[in-house]
Amino acid sequence: MIKLPISDEQLQRLQLPARIAGIVGSALMAGSIAVPWSYDPDALDDMSFAMAPSPLQLHFLVLALLGLLAFAVPLLGRKRLGKLARLAAWNAAARTAAGGGAVVALVAIAAIGIEAGGLVNTEPGVWVALAGGILALAGGLLLPPSPEPGLGRMKPPRWVQIVVIVVGLAAVVFAAAYALSLSEGGEFFLFAALAVALVLVLKEWGAFGWLSIAAADNKRVLVAAAFVAAFSFPFTQGGSDANMSIAAQVLVFAATAMGLNIVIGLVGLLDLGYIAFLGAGAFTAAMLSGSAFATINWEPPFWLTALIAAVVAAILGLLIGTPTLRVSGDYLAIVTLAFGEIFRLTMINLDGTDGPNLTHGPNGIPGIPNLNFFGFYFGDPQHLFGIETGRFANYFWLMLLVMAFIILVFTNLNRSRIGRGWVAIREDELAAEAMGVNTFALKLLAFAGGAFLAGLAGAVRAHQYTSVVPEQFVFLESAFLVAAVVLGGMGTVMGVIIGATILKVLPEKLRFFEDYRLLLFGLLMVFMMRFRPEGIIADERRQLEFHADDEELAEEVELELIAWHDHYNPEPKGH
Amino acid sequence: MDFFLQQLINGLSLGALYALIAVGYTVVYGIVQLINFAHGEIFMIGAFGAYAVWIVIGKPTGWDVGPSLLVLLPLMIIGGIAASVTVALLTERLAYRPLRNAPRLAPLISAIGVSVFLQEAVRLFYGTIPGFPDAKAGFPFPTVTGISGRMVEVGGVILQFSTLFTIGALIVCTVGLWYFVNRTKVGRAMIATSQDPDTARLMGINVDRVIMAAFAVGAALAAIAGVAHGLRYQTIIGDMGFMAGLKAFTAAVLGGIGNIYGALVGGVVLGVVESLSAAYLGGGSAWKDVWAFGLLILVLVFRPQGLLGAKVVDRA
Repeated sequence: MIKLPISDEQLQRLQLPARIAGIVGSALMAGSIAVPWSYDPDALDDMSFAMAPSPLQLHFLVLALLGLLAFAVPLLGRKRLGKLARLAAWNAAARTAAGGGAVVALVAIAAIGIEAGGLVNTEPGVWVALAGGILALAGGLLLPPSPEPGLGRMKPPRWVQIVVIVVGLAAVVFAAAYALSLSEGGEFFLFAALAVALVLVLKEWGAFGWLSIAAADNKRVLVAAAFVAAFSFPFTQGGSDANMSIAAQVLVFAATAMGLNIVIGLVGLLDLGYIAFLGAGAFTAAMLSGSAFATINWEPPFWLTALIAAVVAAILGLLIGTPTLRVSGDYLAIVTLAFGEIFRLTMINLDGTDGPNLTHGPNGIPGIPNLNFFGFYFGDPQHLFGIETGRFANYFWLMLLVMAFIILVFTNLNRSRIGRGWVAIREDELAAEAMGVNTFALKLLAFAGGAFLAGLAGAVRAHQYTSVVPEQFVFLESAFLVAAVVLGGMGTVMGVIIGATILKVLPEKLRFFEDYRLLLFGLLMVFMMRFRPEGIIADERRQLEFHADDEELAEEVELELIAWHDHYNPEPKGH
Repeated sequence: MDFFLQQLINGLSLGALYALIAVGYTVVYGIVQLINFAHGEIFMIGAFGAYAVWIVIGKPTGWDVGPSLLVLLPLMIIGGIAASVTVALLTERLAYRPLRNAPRLAPLISAIGVSVFLQEAVRLFYGTIPGFPDAKAGFPFPTVTGISGRMVEVGGVILQFSTLFTIGALIVCTVGLWYFVNRTKVGRAMIATSQDPDTARLMGINVDRVIMAAFAVGAALAAIAGVAHGLRYQTIIGDMGFMAGLKAFTAAVLGGIGNIYGALVGGVVLGVVESLSAAYLGGGSAWKDVWAFGLLILVLVFRPQGLLGAKVVDRA
């Protein structure tokens, strides 16, 4: 939060003018969509008409109107607002909406300038939007800070919570489908900026405190709804396979990252060769797949193949973990990295000349047939509810099941005796050992368990990608997995899913900076570690570990824990 | 016998390269307990820095032995060292120092980020400087008259001059390193800091400066290794740091990480093992990297403190 060098008294006096500036700025942003933003109809999604806003401009309108609302509501006065004044942080939300609007307008200007070749192609509309955003932001910064929103402590009726959860998840599905349908980088980027701005406004307003209580109270409903939402995602694609391919890849990536999350997030072991376990599963499944290039002439049913693949990966995990888990954590990072290289080189060398022919060397095993799972053939498009879905949708659904299994394992382990042992090891291994935690066995369990899950994901991946090549399992892929865990938030489920989605979808959609992808990726890792090492979604305990000397944060976490405790153990009234 | 000696010499010069890089890992680890994952890239930048000097002084090719060895080679080495040390100090300042009190995972992940960033930065932008070659593919390293392409035969064993240069560089650097560590103020401060940073600070040692010195020394030796690599293989490429760095780290662990002389011994042993295993073990050179990494795992099982004993072993 930016602090202006103005005393509180002056802020109080400036409040009305600031509010009016904010309202005028937001109104300008809202009004700007009636005027063309771009001269060139090809830039973004055709913003060249007057009085006929494009979809993206309409999304912008939502943000502007939210800002307008947040600026205007407190004008009603504390008395008339009553409870509402203290429930939500109106000023903070207004400030965020204004700032977000300005940033989105800037992104739009940049995108039009790049796509249409020069800023001459911008029309007044987009500049009005920018000016409005800056004016509103100036007003927002002059508003006094909001008190902590009280929304989180309000308990609405059950059905309201459930309706909000369902509507929210449906909105997420449609936003994701819409984002994937945007083929051009500029449009996608603009939409992403809008979505982030909207989420931030809601967060500042206080909605997330309320949501987290609602989610905790209706955990089963939430989980069920989330899976129904994810399950229905392919139906939004109208039979197109291109986006489903990305979505299925995201799920494989996320499932693997979830396995790695056990190792890194819970136990704090840095595994830099994790992709090798995925590779072991994929190669095993490929060899047993019945492809014309398969090297083992045995084609067991897929459930058995998947099990064998996972067990092979887990055995590799045991082999590599047993010697190295006794020594320090740094060694483990490098040994796993070396192991990843050994795996890749071995797969290249098992080509028939340098070793027995198992993998066809650098060419790998192509032509892996589609899955045939209990009579369900994955190559066929499905017709459900009158909507056709393509081949990748089948893999998407299968990976969804695998993902559900992995999340189930993860969350249950996290809350069990084993999970507490893991966290103890992560925080202080010596102390954990002194308390009687069998550190070696627990570390080995995490390591082999993570490998097992990766092997499982690898078995599906082999069929989904239809070919397995050693070069799919280079070190950089391991680094990407680590990055997904770190970016999203070590030790969290939602965080890692978000991190994996960002890392997989962004490069697909932002082809124009493909060259700079790795460069930005390296910078991102450094900046994340420097400024937000706990990731986008922070595990609270983890956050405290990273900010050990932050007293305020410790207090905040403690207060929150007390609030949760009170929420679940209400004091009996009338004493 | 000749074949064995030949392989031994090859292994020694390869090992000398590893040893020069490994020192950088070990001095930094001995003081801040950080695996500087980006050190392989520092080695690569040393080679590219030397190449840049060669371009700046007008791409001389046909110089006589005298000026070539007395002017060109030292200039290239100095250029490489300047580039490496600058980049190493910058990464220390920007990416590692802010994380010095963070949990152990944070600086290591940051180091991976630095490694990827440096490799990509060189790959993408080296060629955009006017007159510089594109680093996306490999390009030939300049020939230094007097070293490149010359060889002598001693009793059936062929000695490339570039091989001799690498081994010689290792010997000179070892002596220099010994002098620096034992006879200079900064070197002794380094030893003190690695033994006990808090006490060293109480004794008036500027620990920040000592850490910078450790990064600088490691980078300088890596830059010399970069030039030696260029002369030996006659080609350099933007991603040459990854594998070399990994091997050098293996060498550092092999000798006992944190122990400077251990890194030198570990490097030489690793080079010889790699060279001999390629020559004598089944499968040939396709498997040599596998043997090298297998050796790392074996050492960790049976002698985790390394050949010469590590200063710090059990730090989680």
